[in-house]
Amino acid sequence: MKCHIPGANVKVLGRTAHALARFGDELYLESLPDCILLRTLNAAESAYAMVKFNKNFFTYFNYNYYSTEDNEGLKCKISMKSALNIFKSPAHMDKQVENLEIKLDAESCKLIFQLKCRHGIVKTHFVSILDCKAMQAVYTKDSVPNRITSPQRILSEALGNFQSSDDQVTLEVSSQSLIMRNYVDTNVDLTKIIRTQISLKPSEFDGYAIEAETTITFTLKEFRALLAFAEALNLPLQLHFETTGRPVVFIVHNGSTFEAHFVLATSKCDSASQATSTQHTNVERSKRKDSNSTLGSAKKKPHLEVDISKCLDEDSHLFNFIDIPEEVMLNKTSTNGNIENKSKSSGKTEEPMDCDNIPASPAAKNMIKSVFKRCFESTFDPRNLHGAILAENSDSE
Amino acid sequence: MNWSKMDDVNSQYYFTASMDSGKTLCSLLKAIQFQETAVFCALPEGLKLTVEEGKCVQASAYVPSDNFTEYHVRDDVDVMFKISIAVLSECLNIFGSGEESSLKMYYRSEGSPLLLVLQPQSVNNVMTDCEISTQNADSVLELRDEDSAEVAKLVLKAPAFLGLLADLERSCDVIELHLSPEHPNVSIVTYGMQDRSCIDVPKSSDMVQSFTCENPVTLKYQLPHIRLIMKALAISSKVVLRCSSNGLLLLQLKLEKEDQRQMFSEFYIVPLLDD
Repeated sequence: MKCHIPGANVKVLGRTAHALARFGDELYLESLPDCILLRTLNAAESAYAMVKFNKNFFTYFNYNYYSTEDNEGLKCKISMKSALNIFKSPAHMDKQVENLEIKLDAESCKLIFQLKCRHGIVKTHFVSILDCKAMQAVYTKDSVPNRITSPQRILSEALGNFQSSDDQVTLEVSSQSLIMRNYVDTNVDLTKIIRTQISLKPSEFDGYAIEAETTITFTLKEFRALLAFAEALNLPLQLHFETTGRPVVFIVHNGSTFEAHFVLATSKCDSASQATSTQHTNVERSKRKDSNSTLGSAKKKPHLEVDISKCLDEDSHLFNFIDIPEEVMLNKTSTNGNIENKSKSSGKTEEPMDCDNIPASPAAKNMIKSVFKRCFESTFDPRNLHGAILAENSDSE
Repeated sequence: MNWSKMDDVNSQYYFTASMDSGKTLCSLLKAIQFQETAVFCALPEGLKLTVEEGKCVQASAYVPSDNFTEYHVRDDVDVMFKISIAVLSECLNIFGSGEESSLKMYYRSEGSPLLLVLQPQSVNNVMTDCEISTQNADSVLELRDEDSAEVAKLVLKAPAFLGLLADLERSCDVIELHLSPEHPNVSIVTYGMQDRSCIDVPKSSDMVQSFTCENPVTLKYQLPHIRLIMKALAISSKVVLRCSSNGLLLLQLKLEKEDQRQMFSEFYIVPLLDD
């Protein structure tokens, strides 16, 4: 593999490296006849990123420079630290770097990054190859019911209102609005945290198509990183997602030269404890020497699907468990319109507390019981529901 | 004591000096402030403060006497004492970094404190005087070896050199400097965890103002030692690197002030020897 990247595009590559570094510690590089793919996966396998640079991103491109007989391109894994070291300050790179050459040194098994900078300075990085594997995640982005196209500023401005200590965000989408709020962990003392909620109108977005209303929760660290990436490149961000528990896909592309997919697992805000809810992009690795990679993936797929269905079963069980009392509540309250509104609004303020407590630990079980105790009693009167009693319980917890 | 009558007190004091603005002096001191104490040495030619890091790095700030509006040193005594450089730079900055303040310094005799009188330029009738206690100075390392010849000399633009150093990987311990009359003339190599990085600078580069090297030479230094010069590089315009045959690296940095006067900082860095 050998390619040349002009100065302006080196900046894009630098931004990409910095965004990917927020996802994983290792960078997978694969060269195909018409493009180069950079991929990374975090240690928990809950976040995955793939950036594809098409042939026209480069001034010179040869995917198989040291032509080997098997006609294969390069597949390798390098340390993310090495990649970051090459692109130390992407903001200034376009001014300093005139040209970047990436090539494989077949003899020493190193990947060579040679930056030709201003003042005639040449910086050469000999990066060790850790592995000769390619890695690919399986996810769907095309046949999903919910798609939002957002200008790069909107979401990052909204995120600016969140605390830097927040680590997960919940998106509640309906055809009328998109609500962003910080996800509150069950174990956290509710009196000591700030809850933030922001409602965005569909008209704020360039594209807004919600076919299945849903609520998804995902990590902020990676979300911030990919927003910064979209913002730095001044490109809109597309969100493709299905429902909670299924991965959300963020797409940034400029149409012709590159396309970035960021896949984040979504956890079940409405149900599970952290342990059951860390969701899974399903990763399939194929060895370079695995001559028939499709066969390999076919072998692995059934196993993976069992995994998914298993965890979905588990989750839906939890989900149902939580839903029962709510249904009861709503059925009863629906006899009186006014009260329904009231109980709904009071329900909303308590929502994180209600839904976050799952019978994962004994303490949480007690909590559920005391919160929903009245729902199970025959003399349940929703008018008693809102107000101090519930708040008291949550405080004492 | 009437502080304003400087001439009257000159005869009694070991050292007196005054300056219109202490700001540049303060930033120069901060650039070498990687140790708590410095040796303060007032020479007839100018003021010199020296700090040492574990007998491996010696850094000096040198302020020629023409930077001062008044400068008197008694020529019959050695004016040399140890002082906390952190306290000194803090005192110079006592009105905040946005404020230009005039500065007067007095040192009466051995064992007496260094007196500073600072007066902000924008506010009238405000004055601070600081007394900084001093200690007797230990001897300063003499790293220069007159017998070792100079094998290479480079003059570089300081901001560009700073950019190169800033780009080096932080986790590296060792920096290798290859100098050669052949292309590429300057090559800086660092070894990371798994990777090797190499920066080549030909002598034709804009950042190289002069290059003298007869024979190829390879020198190794601790990267953390080299990093100590970065603060000084940030405020300087030009840097001269001199390598002597025993491997000792001398960096001389020139700081140009608005009033065309110059201050200098100087770093001696001992090499790593092959084991």
